[in-house]
Amino acid sequence: MLMQMSNNTSAKPAKGRSLWADGIRRLRKRRLAMLCFWVTMAYFALAAAVFISERTGWENVLTRWNEDIGPSYQAPLATYEWTPQDAEPMSGWSLFGTDFLGRSTLRKTLYGAKTSIAVALGASIISLLIGIPLGAAAGYFRGWFDDIVIWLLTTLNTIPYILLVMAFAVVLRDKSLLGIPLRGMTGVYLAMGLTSWVGIARLIRGEIMKRKESEYVLAARAMGCSSGRIIFFHLLPNVFHIIIINFSLRFVGFIHAEVILSFLGLGETDKPSWGAMIDAARAELARDVWWEMAAATLAIFVLSLALNLFGDALRDCLDPKLRTD
Amino acid sequence: MQKLNYSLLFVLCCAALYLTGCGRRAPKADEDQMVLHLSLPTKAQTLDSGNMRDVYGMMVAGNIYETLYKYHYLKRPYEVIPVLAADFPTISDDNLTYTIPIRQGVFFQDDPCFPDGKGRELTAHDFVFAIKRIANVKYRSQNWTIFKDRILGLDEFREYTTDFKEEWAVDYSYEVEGLKALDDYTLQIILVRPWPQMLEIALGDTASSPLPREAVDYYHSEIGHRPVGTGPYRLNVWRRGSYIELVRNENWRGELYPSEGEESDAEAGLLDDAGKPIPFADRVIFRVIEEAQPQWLLFMRGELDSSGIPKDNFNEAIDASVQTLTDDMRARNIELHTYVDPSTFWVGFNLRDPVLGKNKPLRMAISRAINRQEFIDLFANGRGMVAHGFVSPGMNSYDPDIHTYGFSRYDPAEARELLKEAEAVHGGPIPPLTLGMPGTDTFARQYGQFLQKYFSQVGMRLDVNYMDWPTYLAELNNGHLQLFSSGVSASVPDAIDFLEMFATKYFAPGGNKFYYSNPEYDTLLDRVQVMFDSPERTELYRKMERMVMADYPAVFTTHQVSYALTHGWYKNYKPHTFSYDVLKYRRVDGEQRGEYRDVLAELKKK
Repeated sequence: MLMQMSNNTSAKPAKGRSLWADGIRRLRKRRLAMLCFWVTMAYFALAAAVFISERTGWENVLTRWNEDIGPSYQAPLATYEWTPQDAEPMSGWSLFGTDFLGRSTLRKTLYGAKTSIAVALGASIISLLIGIPLGAAAGYFRGWFDDIVIWLLTTLNTIPYILLVMAFAVVLRDKSLLGIPLRGMTGVYLAMGLTSWVGIARLIRGEIMKRKESEYVLAARAMGCSSGRIIFFHLLPNVFHIIIINFSLRFVGFIHAEVILSFLGLGETDKPSWGAMIDAARAELARDVWWEMAAATLAIFVLSLALNLFGDALRDCLDPKLRTD
Repeated sequence: MQKLNYSLLFVLCCAALYLTGCGRRAPKADEDQMVLHLSLPTKAQTLDSGNMRDVYGMMVAGNIYETLYKYHYLKRPYEVIPVLAADFPTISDDNLTYTIPIRQGVFFQDDPCFPDGKGRELTAHDFVFAIKRIANVKYRSQNWTIFKDRILGLDEFREYTTDFKEEWAVDYSYEVEGLKALDDYTLQIILVRPWPQMLEIALGDTASSPLPREAVDYYHSEIGHRPVGTGPYRLNVWRRGSYIELVRNENWRGELYPSEGEESDAEAGLLDDAGKPIPFADRVIFRVIEEAQPQWLLFMRGELDSSGIPKDNFNEAIDASVQTLTDDMRARNIELHTYVDPSTFWVGFNLRDPVLGKNKPLRMAISRAINRQEFIDLFANGRGMVAHGFVSPGMNSYDPDIHTYGFSRYDPAEARELLKEAEAVHGGPIPPLTLGMPGTDTFARQYGQFLQKYFSQVGMRLDVNYMDWPTYLAELNNGHLQLFSSGVSASVPDAIDFLEMFATKYFAPGGNKFYYSNPEYDTLLDRVQVMFDSPERTELYRKMERMVMADYPAVFTTHQVSYALTHGWYKNYKPHTFSYDVLKYRRVDGEQRGEYRDVLAELKKK
């Protein structure tokens, strides 16, 4: 017995792991989650490539989505003869076919990643910037401030989300904010951001309420920390994993909302977007032109699936209470 | 026990199906009577002739009410003929006073508003009442614009009605100098200034149909649901938003099917019924079907006699390569009718704009840069004509040689040359231009992208501002749009509506949204506005069209071509773009309609 004891005490104590390190270790073990992560990263890289190309004026296949590559409505992989502007007749083919103006559906689909991800990112940031401080302050201070925030949350929550986004998008459409016209995508970022902070605010409020009586908060308070310091330096870092999980799962919702808004004619009008492609393809299906619809749907499907699976895995790995493995 | 329960359930289900008539069977009345089965894509708003402007209301009401004059059903170019007028009017030398003899022996339909429910004889007073009612400001008629500033004293009468609290209180015995019933069968109209199109625009419009005062007094605000007319049909059932049924008006005086028409009409079988008494059909049924797909399926099942072609079903109906019916349609004995809508569409230039207004080479360059035929193929399944001028081919004065002037030629190489010239005029590169596009839907967006493509091909940049309709209209009428997409459809086959769009006196918010101003053109317009139809006027119309076209105030793009389908049993169908009283001419071959079930069964087997 003594021998055993001495053996145990002489062993090197196991190194403690932080929540994040533990979560990432668990995540790495999940092959499907990692695949989804890299798929999502590929979409982000594509969006970043388009963004950088446009900003720097770098001409490449992604920014030349507007170029004709063949006659109108050519099916995927079909070879065709055509005469480009000021050029000799030539033959060609394309992977995903051409649209009504003879532009490449593939290029439009790739460009669409930038539109969707930019909107989802923009809307997520706006909603986090509103939702986190409001939810944290309401949960920490309670009282009349909490009453007002809860009233606001409940009121916004009673209005169907898409209708609310549409109303905001329509109202903001011809306005300008600080000299920036809210046309096209800017209006959509704002509309989605201004309407979607309710969920995150409610979540953060609950978490803060739960944790504000914790010993580390009590210790911080005893050391004379201000309320702002306690919220932003002690409480929020401890709920940050919840924000990350929420962010990854809501990102899909924003991409879908952008598609719906573009489909309803409230989104991007001059640049390709998956929603606008589906909207255009709706009328083209009657001509048996299915490839534009198929390409945009496939792009949304793959990204949504990857984000959902990755988000679920992230939640399982980071939130010990929800851990299923 | 369980087995017994299932058996009982089965028997009950069978009984329920039997009692509720599960199988589709046409009503028995259909077998004894000739019935027209038609559809409306939206519900009729009202059947009150005085306040009706919606096309679908007119499609129904045009068969209940009659007018003094109308267009001949078969003759083209369209020819005006008297209906409730006994003859053409006698017109004074100054072209201001019209004396119109009213046909005798015309009776209103039987209705409870009349003593004993028996329709009384039509008199000239009924026309006077109908027009004064439209002028009544409390009635708030949409048709007032037709008569505004036209008839002597009518605008004063309108002013007089403002003193009354409600529509019914107005005293219609107030005399209007230019609108009088000289006796029961003579109507006199005195105009403020000559109006050569009055017969077509005012006296041939459902708005001026005679209305018995008794009906308005009896039904008051319910008159919109209780039309009382002199036409071949009367309203029998109206379930708002779903079903309208017309039946023969027993009091109708009767007419014979026309025995004259175009040369091709005899060959098309349109004169087979010449001289026979009309109407042929005993009942007309309109079903309101808002969605295109159910409407199309009902037509294909033979439950509707005629149909347009929804965009989504175009390939099913038409072989696009030859623009004729597909084999399946031919097997069903379906017939195709194509006709040019009296419409013109364009991308207009705001000539007050500093970039466009003084730069004709730029406007020409833009006109040369747009491939109109490509637009027709892509956006209208080939259903359209390139607009070489702004007067639509449906107009009597249409110039068949207008295409020889090449105003709407697509020539990108010339466009680039012209652009160089335009840059010299402008004093530098042409800045990006902005187009106001009405609508944010797929069509609008694709049209915007289409134009952007052709602008960029010649080295110009076009920004498109997609707007909702009210915003677009406000911006257009304020002259804030640099370029704008627009179009117009004529209501009469006289090109005057098109020509007035370019007069200085009609600057926006009037019809001249281009702010086109040409003193010589204005002088000519003043002249033709008071001229009656004649070869001289036709020549002037054409000259004026060429004057405008040569100044390029717009890129005139297309005239729309409409396609309609009818089943083989639906006889005497000839598209008529300016009249709604056409159902009395239509006939159904019941036997052929019955055989369609066999055709469907055979197609199903295949």
